[in-house]
Amino acid sequence: MREETRREAVWQFLTYAFILLGAILTLVPLYWIFVASTLKESQFLSSTSPRLAPGDSFFANFQSLQARENVQFVGHVGEMTHYIDLGPFYIAYDFWNLWNMGAIESSIFVAGVYTLLSLLLCSMAGFAFAKYEFRFKKPIFYAILATLILPIQLLVIPLFLLMSQLGLTNNYWAIILPWAANPLGIFLMRQNMRSIPDALLESARMDGATEFQLFYKIALPTMKSSLAALSIILFLFQWNLFLFPLVILDQGKYTIPVAINQLVGAQRVYYDQIMVAATLSIIPIFVLFLFLQKQFVSGILAGSVKE
Amino acid sequence: MSGITLDTVRKEFGSGEEAVLAVEDVDLEIEDGEFLVLVGPSGCGKTTTLRCIAGLEDVTSGRILFGDRDVTEFRARERDVAMVFQNYALYPHMDVRDNIGFGLKLSTQQSAAEIDQQVEDVAAMLGIEDLLDDKPKELSGGQQQRVALGRAIVRDPAAFLMDEPLSNLDAKLRSQMRTELQTLQHDLDVTTVYVTHDQTEAMAMGDRIAVMNDGRLQQVGTAEEVYRSPVNEFVADFIGSPSINVFDATVDGSRLDGPGGFTYHLSDASPVEDLDTVRVGIRPEDITLVDDGIPMVANVLEPMGNENFLYTTLGDHDITARIDPTKRPQPDETVEFAFEESALYLFDPDTGDALKTKDDGEIPDRGADTDARPSETDEALEEAIE
Repeated sequence: MREETRREAVWQFLTYAFILLGAILTLVPLYWIFVASTLKESQFLSSTSPRLAPGDSFFANFQSLQARENVQFVGHVGEMTHYIDLGPFYIAYDFWNLWNMGAIESSIFVAGVYTLLSLLLCSMAGFAFAKYEFRFKKPIFYAILATLILPIQLLVIPLFLLMSQLGLTNNYWAIILPWAANPLGIFLMRQNMRSIPDALLESARMDGATEFQLFYKIALPTMKSSLAALSIILFLFQWNLFLFPLVILDQGKYTIPVAINQLVGAQRVYYDQIMVAATLSIIPIFVLFLFLQKQFVSGILAGSVKE
Repeated sequence: MSGITLDTVRKEFGSGEEAVLAVEDVDLEIEDGEFLVLVGPSGCGKTTTLRCIAGLEDVTSGRILFGDRDVTEFRARERDVAMVFQNYALYPHMDVRDNIGFGLKLSTQQSAAEIDQQVEDVAAMLGIEDLLDDKPKELSGGQQQRVALGRAIVRDPAAFLMDEPLSNLDAKLRSQMRTELQTLQHDLDVTTVYVTHDQTEAMAMGDRIAVMNDGRLQQVGTAEEVYRSPVNEFVADFIGSPSINVFDATVDGSRLDGPGGFTYHLSDASPVEDLDTVRVGIRPEDITLVDDGIPMVANVLEPMGNENFLYTTLGDHDITARIDPTKRPQPDETVEFAFEESALYLFDPDTGDALKTKDDGEIPDRGADTDARPSETDEALEEAIE
């Protein structure tokens, strides 16, 4: 074997070893959460050596989680109380009572609405910053970027006051709107949209497209993979929000992180329930990722313009 | 369909101190159905002029008219023109059918079936009917080019604007598409403005050629006019391949003294009256090798098959000659050359304006007021071909 090939092989081995190590470091805690959720609390807390094989207590743990009074984790069928009585049968019309949302449904709903709204706003802003010239473009862009360094702790009180003045306390909009125009999202979309060739947009202009049609008929479809990546970032951001939802929402409307926090009591921490809740909270993210994975197709702009 | 008029069109980029003048007061009349080629070196303002006509750039001052309609303030989509870009700019997420039909969908009220029919007609005309369901990235450069053309043709616009559409194709495909484009343009009879930096392309394709330099329009005329009667040294130098040989000569009555012992007696000295020096131009193809002429030293010979290019030195000046393929001077060999006075160009050394051009005054005037359309014989010929 030649010296160079051998060195290459060693480097390749080291690279893979490093990646593998990273993967293990990431997966072990997740696996342990899953294992713990299937064990009795005593089994994974008191044993001297940690147990790595799943047990059979998952549903028992889940039932005790669902039985709690201060937090509704997974929702349940609601009672529809408004109906039109037609004698032998009746038609209920209060579909909003069809399902009593738990923390998981709240989180999915909030993060879903937030992701769609934020995708729209971020890509529109990104498109404007990437493809248009306007006065004070740079200062505005830098001002938006600068908001990235403001910690949430600094914003909680002013945001709370603002939201209560808007009458949005204990309303999901209060945790959706403040971050809807996400500076990181705007930055990412701006960077990606710069790769759209000007000629492509001009060509569409010549074809009779309005500026908004340029955006949704040309720019957005070519940005599919970026939008998919940004969706995950935005969804996770909202999924993990803790402090502000804790402050602005009441108990019945808690999202997952806040709900899990309720399992930490003054006298005792319900580790078994926390582990079940954590395991369940991973599932929607996992599904979202599987769903978007096929969109991560690189080179969607290939063949558009000849270099 | 309509002609296009540029009335003192001026375009500056930026403003105030940093303003860059890209197009300076261009006046140009393009007739209905004419194929006009804007040609010039890079940065001469030809593409900017085209973009102003397209409505992709606002003009700083001046007016643009399509027929009698002032479109200066119109946006690109309101002007009813179609543009073919250098890099084709196909929509990557749409198949060929949608790429071609996109403009019709946006700008007309036609039904999907009608649009589809037109797209298929145009695709058949361009020979790409089998590619309608392919995405742009699956196509070759030549096919992408045809799709880009199809997108322009299908809209039946008032004018075609083409920005170096052939420059990304390889040489063989380029000359093939050149002919196809010309035939297509004649068949469709749509006013076309075509930008290129390639003077050969310009000469071959244009009904008329507009030569630009430094944002200014230098000359508009047929290929023959700009070649034989350039208005100044720039046009003479830019048009023709290899380019014209130009050097300084001192004027002594009717005698011109140039570098390396070059002397020439003008039979008519009127163009150089009152001048001490003059710029002398001779086209490579007007140089013949003789036994008793002006001596120069051969450097390199490029055999082309049907002709030879001979690169020589006259004093400290490089001179290119296009000579008989049977003649093959060796490097460092001294050769002697001669030329006809009728083939001589003379330029003012200060302004660059032409004082004398080839066969001065004998060219039929085919300027703005003559019909630059293809002659009837051309059309008859095309019908015969069809």
